[in-house]
Amino acid sequence: MLDFLQAASDGVLFGTTYALIGIGFTLVFGVMHKLNLAYAAASIGAAYSGLIILQAWTAAPAWAVFLAAFIAGGLIGWMVYLTCFHFIPLSHPLAPLMATVGMLLLIDEIIVHMTDGMPQNYPAVYDDVMLRIGEFMVRGDLLLVGAVSVLCMIGLLALLYRTRLGLATRAVSQQAVAAQLCGIRVGQVNAMTFVITGLVGGLAGALIGASVGALSPLLTAPLTVKGLIVTVIGGLGSIPGAIVAGLLVGGFENVFQLYRGVTERDLYVMLLLFAFLVFRPGGIFAPRGGRD
Amino acid sequence: MEFYYGLAQTIGVHTLLGLSAYIVLLTGQVTMAQAAFFAIGAYTAGMLTVLAGWHLVPAIGAGALTGAATACAVGFPALRVKGLMLVVATLAFGEGVRLFFFNFDYQVARGEIRVGPLGGEGFRQIRFFQENGWTTGEVMLFIWVFVLLAMAILWWFDRSRYGAVLRAVGEDELAAQSVGINLTAVKVSAMTVGGAVAGVGGALYAHYTTHIEHANFGVLLATFAIAYPIVGGLRNVFGTLAAVVFVQALLVEGLRDLGDWRNLLFGALIVLAMNLRPQGLFGGRRA
Amino acid sequence: MAGPGTRLSQAVFRAATSRLPARLPPFDFCLPERLLPFGFCLPERLLPLDSLFAVVPISRLPDLHCPIYSKEEAEVKTVALAVGLALAASSSAYAQERTIKIAGFGAKSGVVRSFGINSEAAMLAAADVINRQGGVKLADGSRARIAIDYYDDRCNAEEGIAVTRRMFGTDALVAVGPTCSNVAEPLFGILQKRVGDAGDSGLQMPIFTDVAIKVGLAKISEWAFRNVPNENTMYNSLFYWLKTKHPDIKTVYGGVEEDFAHSRATWYSVMKERAEASGFQVLGNSKWLLNDTNFATQVREMRKANADVVAISAHPFTTCGVLKEMQRQGVKPKVLVGLTSSSSLETLEGCAKQAEGMIIPTSFAPVTKEATAAAQMTAKFKGAADLHSMAAWENMFILKDVIEAAGISGRPGDVQADRRKIRDGLAKLSETKGLLGVTKRDREGEADKPYLFVHANKGQWRVLHNPL
Repeated sequence: MLDFLQAASDGVLFGTTYALIGIGFTLVFGVMHKLNLAYAAASIGAAYSGLIILQAWTAAPAWAVFLAAFIAGGLIGWMVYLTCFHFIPLSHPLAPLMATVGMLLLIDEIIVHMTDGMPQNYPAVYDDVMLRIGEFMVRGDLLLVGAVSVLCMIGLLALLYRTRLGLATRAVSQQAVAAQLCGIRVGQVNAMTFVITGLVGGLAGALIGASVGALSPLLTAPLTVKGLIVTVIGGLGSIPGAIVAGLLVGGFENVFQLYRGVTERDLYVMLLLFAFLVFRPGGIFAPRGGRD
Repeated sequence: MEFYYGLAQTIGVHTLLGLSAYIVLLTGQVTMAQAAFFAIGAYTAGMLTVLAGWHLVPAIGAGALTGAATACAVGFPALRVKGLMLVVATLAFGEGVRLFFFNFDYQVARGEIRVGPLGGEGFRQIRFFQENGWTTGEVMLFIWVFVLLAMAILWWFDRSRYGAVLRAVGEDELAAQSVGINLTAVKVSAMTVGGAVAGVGGALYAHYTTHIEHANFGVLLATFAIAYPIVGGLRNVFGTLAAVVFVQALLVEGLRDLGDWRNLLFGALIVLAMNLRPQGLFGGRRA
Repeated sequence: MAGPGTRLSQAVFRAATSRLPARLPPFDFCLPERLLPFGFCLPERLLPLDSLFAVVPISRLPDLHCPIYSKEEAEVKTVALAVGLALAASSSAYAQERTIKIAGFGAKSGVVRSFGINSEAAMLAAADVINRQGGVKLADGSRARIAIDYYDDRCNAEEGIAVTRRMFGTDALVAVGPTCSNVAEPLFGILQKRVGDAGDSGLQMPIFTDVAIKVGLAKISEWAFRNVPNENTMYNSLFYWLKTKHPDIKTVYGGVEEDFAHSRATWYSVMKERAEASGFQVLGNSKWLLNDTNFATQVREMRKANADVVAISAHPFTTCGVLKEMQRQGVKPKVLVGLTSSSSLETLEGCAKQAEGMIIPTSFAPVTKEATAAAQMTAKFKGAADLHSMAAWENMFILKDVIEAAGISGRPGDVQADRRKIRDGLAKLSETKGLLGVTKRDREGEADKPYLFVHANKGQWRVLHNPL
């Protein structure tokens, strides 16, 4: 029983990293009804950019690296928007999808060229903190990641429902043409969505780097796949859904890893996804009467 | 010449992979499962020639059949969902198949060595071509017979009523349904044809590389499968061929002289191509 | 505007007197990219001093494109040195007209990029040394210089095959590579299985692998040879040494990267069996995947087993992840053993602190005069010396000896015959000289290299024990 609880809690805590990536996927999809496959790669790229600050300021504290990653994330998000979405007409829905695949490969390869593909040590916060209750252990740094994802969620929901930008974003998401007729600049709103998700992504990348302890281009592929699964299970466009689904997927896979071994672990995650698609195709937080 | 024949083999096999996604994309479905059908074809045909001693041609037929059967079986549940849901569902299926082959052992003793698939270590020595003395040029011609056959069949589908139905579903499902088209039948049949084509491609892949392992059939290959028809355009089958030539002959082999720039340009040129030709290299009408 | 020829000679002069490319090859004169577009090189016969200032029309320069040498440049301290080198280059240039081409290939993109970079650097450095010593002797008594072409296979099976066919189409006599075992497998598969078997249409080109280490690959083809360490011998010796050195330790627990061919094979058929053979009790093993990031459950299993030795068969990225999780959970085994491939810079970049004390058997450390010199030469070509890249270095010298012993004609018409002679020469070898001592070779084309044990110590790999 203790094994089960421990595995579940480890997994749920690690699921916070999936949740952070899921938020970004779901936000872009919710607003633009487009998939940005480069998102996880961009987040990791931003985390790498944070390391550049260590070149100039070798004694930089972890928060400075995280801040740099946060800002770089916004910049990279904006660049992804420009290169993969801005100039491609809406009548070709598959073209931006493919462009983001190209972007994913490009970002990965830029990282590889800058670092020769070697894993890079990442500054950590609270990584030596271990909360212990008898044999039961909880990682302090992952609690921080969890707290940050909840803060991100609150911040994003406040942005979406309490600001004019949020109002415009929701308007564009519901009916882009009508929003445009009301004087909303759709392009600008879309670009802002990318910058905001990019900022969240930069932070997510930095926190993932810190909790894993090292960065490698190897991180992008599994994060992309898990992020997509989390987005679908959580309900497309739902930010709380992405967080809940992230924790669920994390806990689920770790429990199955405990009982069925690592080689079968991901098979069960896929089965979980199938179960959702069959029994609750809208996801945990299905959008009400949503289009598409 | 050896090199160009080899390159033509690669282009042929990847064209089959692209065509298998092409017909599914015509119905408006983005599928990430093609790498799985490709893997199933590869393992089936490889096991038949190596373990059962079959000739390659019936083995390819068997690969096509298993590919088609799996695609048909997956088509029914998976095609209930669409859009991003379908992307993720088929992605999950593809990963599931890959993980299956990752755990799949079936070896028999042949002389002093054991042959057959061995889980994570892969399946080596699928040397039908070499053992029977086929030259690289002959292998290339053999592969291209299948490519041309597949292209001709899909071209013919495109020109027939069936192609019009596929595209009608791709344009607007609701409108297609309202004129009496059975959506499930159309989508599942497209998926099945795609599965058969992918199975043939996989069977050829197994034999021209001589070694297959689960890692060959991951998300990246599935992404390339849909990338070819999208980059090439959905106007006709030549778009897919053009995209495969663009990727394999230009981006992978053609830019080799640029050294390290090649890898960076790979992604960048795909982004650029999509910005300049969002309808695809070969696409005229809307995608 | 001056004509192209004038510009060229000015450029040559400027290059000779101010800055020289760091990877200055002795007989080719690569100009920095800034001075001439596309990194042109001057062939040696134009370089004697009298032609240094000659006006040479660009159209007369054959083979200007120089893919061999990378274009990074570095300051050369004195003009005198630069001129001296140019003189040295020109004087020996007369003697050497012919070249023997050796192809190298490996991964220069993706996460294994550092392997390709290091192997390429080692090959270039070795070729440089051989050429400085006068090149290789051919059958007719003339001497030829060695030229290297290095290809990137992206660690991808299809690209590896394409690269091999490409090399087969050039006049390269032998190829050194690849990096990845999953490229080596299909590659050896498309080679002819038995030499002289007319019914087998596989390619006939000798391949002499430096890096791909998965156990038992060379037997796939008689054209495949490897100079990779024999992990069976190495871990056998390591566990035996541990047993004698620390008689109090009894139990071993394993950690294995389950979905990577090399690490998986090394745990199940090498480390585990060798540990048991040395009288250790193997308590079990934890598994994870190549791109996993969360190791809490696996390390917890490890903690429960509470073994004296933890042996990790994984590549640097997950090795670091596991080591960090072990630190978090307070798992401190008495001895930590790692995978051969992890005794590289990567592990130290990722987690020097946590890897402290980890013992790894390796086939290279700068412990002999030759090994130190090889590492320094490779560093000049911007590569790091480790067990993988130094195998590429050794391969070059082995090939030099094989070429000289086999009597290679080196003429364009004899490429295929020369390849066969090199293959037969490689097959005949039962011993070769390596950087650490004598390497034994078996009939399947595998090597049994000398080795030593290193451990991570204050951010560096230091020699712990030399069993030889």
